Amino acid sequence: MSGFRARELEALKAKIAALETGGREESESMSLGDPRLDDRFLNRGLPLGHWHEFSGEGLEVETGISAAAFAACLAAPLARRGEAVWVLRRDDLFAPGLAGLGFPAERLIQVCARDEAEALAVTEDALATQGVAAVFTEVETVDLTAGRRLQLACERRGATGFVIRRRPYGGTGRKETAGSAAATRWRIAPAPSEPGPGEFGLGPPRWEVRLDRCRGGRPGAWLMEAPNAYGEAAYTYEVNDGTHPLRLVAELGDRQLASAQPLRLSA
Amino acid sequence: MRQLHAVNTPGRLAGLFVGQKATDAMALVPELVTAEAEPEADAQALTELADWCVRFSPAVALDPPDSLFLDVTGVAHLWGGEAALAGDLRARLGANGLPVRVAVADTPGAAWALAHQGEGCEIIVPPGEQIAWMARLRPSALRLEPQAAAQIERLGLKMLAQLFALPRAPLARRFGADALTRIDEALGRSKAALTFRRPPNPWFARLAFAEPISQLEDLQRVSHDVAARLCARLDQEGQGARRFELAFHRLDGKAHALNIGLALAARDPARIARLFAPKLETVDPGFGIEVVTLAASAVEPTAGRQIRLDSLLDAGREDALAPLIDRLANRLGEERVWKTVPVESHVPERSTAHAPPLSPPPPAARWDLGTPRPLRLFRKPEPLEGVISLIPDDPPRQFEWRRRLHRIRRAEGPERIGDEWWRIDIEDVRTDRVRDYYRVEDQDGARFWVFREGLYAPGEPARWFLHGLFG
Repeated sequence: MSGFRARELEALKAKIAALETGGREESESMSLGDPRLDDRFLNRGLPLGHWHEFSGEGLEVETGISAAAFAACLAAPLARRGEAVWVLRRDDLFAPGLAGLGFPAERLIQVCARDEAEALAVTEDALATQGVAAVFTEVETVDLTAGRRLQLACERRGATGFVIRRRPYGGTGRKETAGSAAATRWRIAPAPSEPGPGEFGLGPPRWEVRLDRCRGGRPGAWLMEAPNAYGEAAYTYEVNDGTHPLRLVAELGDRQLASAQPLRLSA
Repeated sequence: MRQLHAVNTPGRLAGLFVGQKATDAMALVPELVTAEAEPEADAQALTELADWCVRFSPAVALDPPDSLFLDVTGVAHLWGGEAALAGDLRARLGANGLPVRVAVADTPGAAWALAHQGEGCEIIVPPGEQIAWMARLRPSALRLEPQAAAQIERLGLKMLAQLFALPRAPLARRFGADALTRIDEALGRSKAALTFRRPPNPWFARLAFAEPISQLEDLQRVSHDVAARLCARLDQEGQGARRFELAFHRLDGKAHALNIGLALAARDPARIARLFAPKLETVDPGFGIEVVTLAASAVEPTAGRQIRLDSLLDAGREDALAPLIDRLANRLGEERVWKTVPVESHVPERSTAHAPPLSPPPPAARWDLGTPRPLRLFRKPEPLEGVISLIPDDPPRQFEWRRRLHRIRRAEGPERIGDEWWRIDIEDVRTDRVRDYYRVEDQDGARFWVFREGLYAPGEPARWFLHGLFG
């Protein structure tokens, strides 16, 4: 009987997937490094050929640093497969920092746009270009119309968009838009890191990652870190196959992880 | 009637001359060897010789059938003097089997006269002394009209010295104004005009309209048409160009020029017209535009590949990205589209540089991944207030930034970055201009890159700045 139910569930899932993609062929997906994460998605991985939204709270609204770092770690294998374009509003991305996280920064094309509309137009243009695999954008909001246009541009060539929501010059934002055309919506916040046993100082960068909305999947919250950042291993990802740049540390429930770390300084 | 076109020295010694009837010549010298004269080939050869002579002077003028004018004003010092220049010219041409006579003088007329009728193969006339040097030449050396020259000879004026001594007004009346102008040009009293040979720019297309146009759709259409015309010529030669200038010439004579640049040489008229399309709105047609011209520069050979947008196999990286880079660079400006290349420097803000996106990667440069670097680096480090640190050398325990208090839980450092003393004069190097960088993490997990500026001085409070943020 459970086999019957499982089969019914699979058939329903396939129907939903067909409705979601509107009859197009099955899309690729990129693994997130851990089966517990991949299970949340329809295709057992982050769907490529769509655009995803990453945002933060507090200080992150202006700096967008955790979202950018998480997106860069996530998309590093994608950026190695094809071209990568990063559209900025404020020119403060530091390439050695990207390289330290394992992202191929020497082939990254950066574009500095003058305002929101231009940044979205450039993103659409880059997504629709053959050969581009990943486009990162730092914009404030993406309303429904712009979101649908980005989705259409992604589908033309199968590129993946990563929208990092950021208000680089401060100030008060506009009202939050109700809907979104993104395939997934994430909220990223920094988390205290743990150095390895016997080591001093800071550990590998760690983030609290919440998946708020996922089309065809289930939301969740996790604690993830990038174990290979800031080392020689980060740069030789191609050699160590099988090691995903991200590692799942723990699943977060509704309660926060209590960080009762004693003061530890290192000089 | 066949005539002799040219005679060599043994032939001249045997009594042959140019213009002699061929039958007479054959009768005079039975073992004469003749060849067909080819005046067109001679003219072509002279043109090629003029193009070659550009190495001596940029201004070369043709004087058919067999002479060239080279304007060597200000050029002779490159050879170490006019004598050396003339010697080099004669040596090079002589080595290729072309004996020449060279004369260097102030004016073209004097140079022509001495080259054709002077004594010796290399004549250099000191400045201002052409009267003395030309005194013993015959009047035909002045390139006068044939009747004037014959009349002068008949009147018994066999040498130019006699001609120069005559008063000017009767000279003009007798032999024509042309004779007087020739004398004045030869002596430098008036300027002679020469038409110099300059290679034309072949990459130029022009369209003229019967009716002046001013509508935007018409401008778009004609820019496409003129681009198609120029690209057809480029296509024939297998070349592409990287810079295009489109000029609209208005009825009142003003011209409005638009420029575009491409990352890679191309000859696709649709792409060029599309790159011009946004700039057409800035053109003010006035009363109407009657001529449009398109000129291409930075022309390079390009491979004749058919670019198929739906084929993922053939297109190389440049073919796929170049249209995108061109669109972005022409719309936003070239300085807003870049890729980062590493620069060897310890100072963080100087360790990267912007490069054009499609340029080849520098061979030896690599990122220095020895120490962690932040993901975001501020252009100007922001000062921190309320910094508390235990001893002057320790990382901060807490600091205030943008009106938020951050308590530090973990820290790494210090990393000391000082002056790069090898880049500046040794007198300007100061050992107390240092920054001690710490990588700190606060209670929420936000990671910062802070530095303390300067060395510890007992009475002064230390100055702390925030330079970047880590992911």
